[in-house]
Amino acid sequence: MKLILIFGALIGASLCLETFVGHQVLRIKTKNEEEVKQLQLLESLEHLELDFWINPSAPALPVDVRIPAASVQSVKAFLESQGIEYSILIEDLQDILDKEKQDMAESAQRQRSSSFDFGAYHTLDDINKELDHLASEYSFVEKIQIGESYEKRPMYVLKFSTGGSNRPAIWLDAGIHSREWVTQASALWIANKIASDYGTDDSITSLLNKMDLFLLPVANPDGFVYTHTSNRMWRKTRSRIPGSICVGVDPNRNWDAGFGGPGASKNPCSDSYHGPSANSEVEVKSVVDFIKNHGNFKAFLTLHSYSQLLMYPYGYKCTRPDDYAELESLGRAAASSIRSLYGTTFQVGTICKTIYQASGGSIDWSYDNGIKYSFAFELRDTGRYGFLLPANQIIPAAKETWLGLKKIMEHVRDKSA
Amino acid sequence: MPGLRASPPAFLLLLVLVFPRGSPAAPGAGQELEPGSRSAVAAARVALHYGNFQARSLGGLRALGQVRKATLKNIPESGHKYYLQFSTEDYRTGEDAGNCLATVLYPKKKSPPVVSIKCSHTKDKKEIQEEDNRFYQRIRHQSKPITGNNIPDSYGNIEPALEPVWALAVAGSSSIMWEKSTETLGYFLAQVKSVRQWVRKDDFTEFDYTVLLHEIPTQEIISCHMRLTWLPGHPLKVKHFCASNADEGSGAESGSAAGPSAEKGAKF
Repeated sequence: MKLILIFGALIGASLCLETFVGHQVLRIKTKNEEEVKQLQLLESLEHLELDFWINPSAPALPVDVRIPAASVQSVKAFLESQGIEYSILIEDLQDILDKEKQDMAESAQRQRSSSFDFGAYHTLDDINKELDHLASEYSFVEKIQIGESYEKRPMYVLKFSTGGSNRPAIWLDAGIHSREWVTQASALWIANKIASDYGTDDSITSLLNKMDLFLLPVANPDGFVYTHTSNRMWRKTRSRIPGSICVGVDPNRNWDAGFGGPGASKNPCSDSYHGPSANSEVEVKSVVDFIKNHGNFKAFLTLHSYSQLLMYPYGYKCTRPDDYAELESLGRAAASSIRSLYGTTFQVGTICKTIYQASGGSIDWSYDNGIKYSFAFELRDTGRYGFLLPANQIIPAAKETWLGLKKIMEHVRDKSA
Repeated sequence: MPGLRASPPAFLLLLVLVFPRGSPAAPGAGQELEPGSRSAVAAARVALHYGNFQARSLGGLRALGQVRKATLKNIPESGHKYYLQFSTEDYRTGEDAGNCLATVLYPKKKSPPVVSIKCSHTKDKKEIQEEDNRFYQRIRHQSKPITGNNIPDSYGNIEPALEPVWALAVAGSSSIMWEKSTETLGYFLAQVKSVRQWVRKDDFTEFDYTVLLHEIPTQEIISCHMRLTWLPGHPLKVKHFCASNADEGSGAESGSAAGPSAEKGAKF
């Protein structure tokens, strides 16, 4: 039995993989035609078994060649005797191949265990399942419930925390307006990105080593379900309003910041109805209470679509916040990061100047309550598809948005250290 | 109020001088606007709505790129006039489609904005004509009258077979959006809710559409009925009727386009 196994192993080894142990890849820089000819001569010597990745052709172009272990010394000796310059691109090719195989295995492992397609739109149930999956997969990710919606759906927040006790924290929410589907979808991608890159990405690692992150991917679950079941264009909550046949309050006019002022409607049938009173919507109140009770939030970030804007307070008034200079500068840096990926441009400015005057908004509330780094993003696109952004743009949108968020978070981390 | 600090009056005055809040200067003098500012972008959009409708073609439909330059003048007895330079993209492909120069006058009295627009082309006239003819042939060669719903669908998909019909909707609703636009109200085409083709004996194509328009800054979704006839090379004929609030239970606010706008006093 043993003999058969050994025999089988030998056949297997000889049949399958070449090994590249000790193979080196050199980059040769030729100075003139003569040297190019020398290399072409080398090329013709088949017994050396040289594998040219870039063939010698003209003096100006580099020549890359893989050299089997047995030939390395003699080829180098030849080059040096001819005065031909070279450098070592790869010391040992097998090392690189082994690492690559390992990377691929790890990635496949990640794919297998998470069959969630981040490049597609999902139902609330599927999103909640993925939140559970992330929480179970990573020790530093926890799913907590901060409240219930009007129709009694749980409001789930992912808490990213690597330790400490009530560390300074960052808040990120999406989907407060339910029809803005790219935001909930992006939030899921971002959650997975942060979780899977902790430990390998310097920026995320140092961020989570100092601060906690709280992510609410579906801030308006009732509205979100309604966009799936009944009306894709639904924006508001689904609360019943006493004395009206109309349903729902604009949750981003319901915060206690200039409540009831310009830019919000007192008509219950309006899509920007501010509600009977500030925090009347349980979805809003749950977040307010959570943040107040925590007491140590340093940043409040919220995702909307569409228009490609990056905004900071104020919306309820058209004057600049005290921290205008810093927020404007940070906003521009973030927009620059966003643009670096696909060239997508985001306009930066206060809410009032950039989009319109609007009272009762979330980042005005957070800013006026001591959370300096308050930003609202409007993601892709600028109106061609609007709310109906094709699914193939989810991941690009999430990726570029993440770069902007990261820029802001890094700044917050450095200032909160 | 929490968060506010008392400012000396001098500082406030300085603020007002440094950041004029969009109130136009004396008649005759033009005020340079930041190209990215909302009023400049909104005006450029209005100009494009008008341009897309007037171009009478589907192959030449444009989306707004970037506003390069914007100036605002108050024309006494007339209204506010914007002078704009902006880049555009092909509506379908997103490729660069050339630059436009436009003026947009928002009249003091309630009537559509007066627009003049001139654009450079990256596609030549022949290319556009050929594209229009291709669209036309695709519409004509259906075995039965075209019908459709939810274009794009909830996930942003547009069935390839319905692309010409969507392009027609963009062109047609551009006329509605241009007409309804004011200095404070802007529009986007959110979705084609339904489309039905009327078969005609002549060469013209004719469609009944229900389109949903997204109104800014009110955030309302306006449902409009649109009857459209088209033949390549001929002006687009559009008849429309818009209600307000596409969601059920919103109460009866039907009527002409003038009705709902008058109610929005609370916002702006």
